[in-house]
Amino acid sequence: MSEGRLAINRLRERLPVDGAAIDRFVARYGAPIIEGERATFLFRGEVDEVRVRHRVVGLADPMPMKRLPDTDLWAVTTELPTGSRVEYQLETRHGDHYETFNDPLNQRVAHSPMGSSSVCAATGYEVPDWVHHDPEARPGELVEDTLRSKALRREQPVKLYLPARYNPALRYPLLVVHDGTDYLDYAAMKTVLDNLIHRLDVAPLVAAFVPPRDRLREYPNYAPHARFIARELLPTLAERLPLIDDPHARALMGSSFGGIASLSTAVRYPGVFGSLFLQSASLVFTDIGTDHGGGPAFDPVVKFVNRYRAKPTAPVERIFMSCGTYEPLITPNRSMVPVFRGAGMTVKYVEARDGHNWEDWRDRLRDGLSWLFPGPQKFVYE
Amino acid sequence: MRTVLLGPQRFMTTAGTALRSLGVDGPVATINAGWEEREDVVDELDTVLGGDTRHLRLYHRSLDVITKDEVFGAAALAFRDRHDALLSLYRLRLQNAMDGVYAVQRRTREAEGRARGEATAYSALDDSIEVVRHVDQWYAAQLKSLYAELDAASPIDASSVIGWHRGELADLLGQAAAVVLTGGHVGTLLRTLRLFAIRIPDEVPVVAWSAGAMALTERVVLFHDHGPEGNTEAEVFDRGLRRVRGLVALPHARRRLRLDDRDRCAVMARRFTDQHCVLLDDGTALELTADGGLPLGARILGIDGAIHELGAPNGSHGANGRGAVS
Repeated sequence: MSEGRLAINRLRERLPVDGAAIDRFVARYGAPIIEGERATFLFRGEVDEVRVRHRVVGLADPMPMKRLPDTDLWAVTTELPTGSRVEYQLETRHGDHYETFNDPLNQRVAHSPMGSSSVCAATGYEVPDWVHHDPEARPGELVEDTLRSKALRREQPVKLYLPARYNPALRYPLLVVHDGTDYLDYAAMKTVLDNLIHRLDVAPLVAAFVPPRDRLREYPNYAPHARFIARELLPTLAERLPLIDDPHARALMGSSFGGIASLSTAVRYPGVFGSLFLQSASLVFTDIGTDHGGGPAFDPVVKFVNRYRAKPTAPVERIFMSCGTYEPLITPNRSMVPVFRGAGMTVKYVEARDGHNWEDWRDRLRDGLSWLFPGPQKFVYE
Repeated sequence: MRTVLLGPQRFMTTAGTALRSLGVDGPVATINAGWEEREDVVDELDTVLGGDTRHLRLYHRSLDVITKDEVFGAAALAFRDRHDALLSLYRLRLQNAMDGVYAVQRRTREAEGRARGEATAYSALDDSIEVVRHVDQWYAAQLKSLYAELDAASPIDASSVIGWHRGELADLLGQAAAVVLTGGHVGTLLRTLRLFAIRIPDEVPVVAWSAGAMALTERVVLFHDHGPEGNTEAEVFDRGLRRVRGLVALPHARRRLRLDDRDRCAVMARRFTDQHCVLLDDGTALELTADGGLPLGARILGIDGAIHELGAPNGSHGANGRGAVS
């Protein structure tokens, strides 16, 4: 679509227009306006400056809007390839006063532990139907549990997912989920598990959702955390639940720092787990020098990843990796695929035109879980 | 021996008609263990079959055995773990072997445009498919050993619980004028059939669909080209009851196989070249001939990757049923 035919440009050609015409324009097109592979962000208000804040690698951040002459409407148009999904906020300046907030013209919002953001979905992006509650899917059960951890020197809460039709006479694979509470709250993971198991895409499994306490300390290669997972959580669950006693039926999962926690735990206890599910893992490293650009929190991450890259091992058989093409971690994630493969592991790697956020991780769950724990679809012929 | 194989019954119900066509007079034994925990939800099935049914409840009986017979329960779980491990290795080898087949097949197609090297290319394709057959045979042999170990670890004849169920099942089957096998989880169906040593007398008519039809064959092949994990290769899973010979049953073929990918279908037909790959789609009803053969009109995959009808001018079958299908 040519620039001249965009709705905002057609409005520009009609200027000057009154407030009622702007009202009609916004009511008709909503915001952002998606036209082919173009997105036009809008804002209405008497301010000195408006900018779109986002974290899309490749686009200017912030992205300044321009005011349409003699109106209170601001706009900026950018490229947005098919299938993209972008989280953003608007930032205004009124004199010396800056304010950042969700787009008031856009009702679509994504939530995370850091708050919420507006969502801009391009042509071709659809929320997968399996993330919504399906009344036909029999629900699994979430059971609150607590373990006394000597390694962590505290009571560690764990939420256990038991699949529908859970039967102690059978045996189940185990998935240990880092940032477990966030996966449940922001990636709808219980609903996703219920649906994917119901659809036979994923094998009935037990999941242990484990929340951290001091995430930045515990997740980047922290020996007590790894000991807790491998030497305390695992044996306790194996004692209490009918789990398949084989590494191939055990997986560690996590996003961002949770990905590092998964990998570093596996590296410390090779052969205990058969697979890893790493989403946008913070696999930051340096090839030369010490400037990794991630700030002090990434120092232990870089130290661990650099050491691993110098001497790669194969602590598991299979790794499913996903990463958003718009996030800064895309380069380290791509770079690690051949390293993992070179170490002898089977790696399935997928990318999405999305960012470092929970809905991206949610949308990749079907790909990862069905690959790591294939459901009985191949066995069922109704 | 009268046997009718049907397509899936979900959207088009033909089981009642098929049963009536057999002129059955007396109770019908149903085997729907593939429905697993829904095994007792049989109202609809009863209606379709006319009501005079005896449900064998093999799935629930198997849970009863696992619960009551600790020795067998432990051995069965150990078997399942070892079978899973074997399947995992089999899939690994199979995928690598199939990758080789497709690579050679691509080269063969290129060779078709050049006279030179054509014979070598076809020979390479045949040989690469032979490698796949070898992997299938290796898996089948390993599985046979696993079964032998299971039998040694927990002799079924020594289990009073299994013996009791077998006795009751023999009575129920003995009264049956016909047997119906439904679809569902074919692995569960085969396991329970084996556990209770179900034998269907030749003279008792059988109607079977989907997983039930697969369970009647000699070699049960699993397939699904449209799973969430993408293409996965068809895999030999286990032996069936062997009442039906010379065919691989492919229920839901239209929904589960990429039938428009002739190269892929051709490889499948050539891999199981000693048997017909029979499509059992909605509405299909095939009554086998008196000698157990497929009736005219049965739709099969040809080694050219196309679908052929047996008996049609371009699909008539030769000595092994495949001669003219090329």
